[in-house]
Amino acid sequence: MSEMDPREAEIDSLLRRSMAAPVPRLSPDFHQALSREVRRRSQPLNPFSRSLLTGYGVVSAAISMVVMRGQGLGWVAIALTTLGPLFTLELARRLRRRQWVMAPK
Amino acid sequence: MIRVESDSQLVARAQVGNQDAFAELVRRHSDRVFRLALSILGREFAAEAEEVAQEVFLKVHHALASFRGEAEVSSWIYRITFNQAVNLKARARYRRPHLDDTALSQVETAEPGPHSLLETAQRDQSLSECIATLPEVYQSALGLYYWMGASVAEVAALLDVPENTAKSYLHRARQLLDGMLKQRGYSYV
Repeated sequence: MSEMDPREAEIDSLLRRSMAAPVPRLSPDFHQALSREVRRRSQPLNPFSRSLLTGYGVVSAAISMVVMRGQGLGWVAIALTTLGPLFTLELARRLRRRQWVMAPK
Repeated sequence: MIRVESDSQLVARAQVGNQDAFAELVRRHSDRVFRLALSILGREFAAEAEEVAQEVFLKVHHALASFRGEAEVSSWIYRITFNQAVNLKARARYRRPHLDDTALSQVETAEPGPHSLLETAQRDQSLSECIATLPEVYQSALGLYYWMGASVAEVAALLDVPENTAKSYLHRARQLLDGMLKQRGYSYV
């Protein structure tokens, strides 16, 4: 920072004066709270929640298929429209993971 | 002799489920993550910066399995932090507590004289407003350097840019502030 011209040195000095303030610190229980949250989020779904979620998915898919069949769609089209979004979701999830790996700015 | 593990070694151990390794990674980077978030959100938002820090490490934990080391671990963590803090700021439309002229005129009249104190308060307020209009990366560089006393090398590491780029961020930010303050009619000698 030695190559500053006088005006820049003035604003440098103003910034030093104006921005001088105590810097807050992380609260002492940050690490404990984080550990708790990591544990909580790492826990797999309990059997009841898993069954409920699976049941919901299966029933939704079945109803959709019946309705689409009732509208005269062929089984191929029904399979595509039912499974397509699932594949898209999985693809998006994988792409997002890839982005994390690349850690884009 | 104590062997200090590198971040990559810690990540490798954390990837196979070693929670101590992850905890060490957090201990090593939590202060810097917090300070980086704070430099983006502003000094009034310490609690939010802590939330950002927590969310960053939860994301890191979640993404550990897919981290293959293409980037430095610290760069990866700081980039997540930067993005997380900027997103939070944009989402919540953070507004710094605004001091209007009435509030400024009610500044305690103590040394070195009410008029001078009022001028200083107004100028500082103006400076804060000007800083808030700068690009996030300049705001962050200024906060880290002038408020938190980080060296240029630390600013560069946290913003994941070369030192010369960090220097140019600071230089450009000072130039822009100079122009903005001049427009507002402030002198600051």
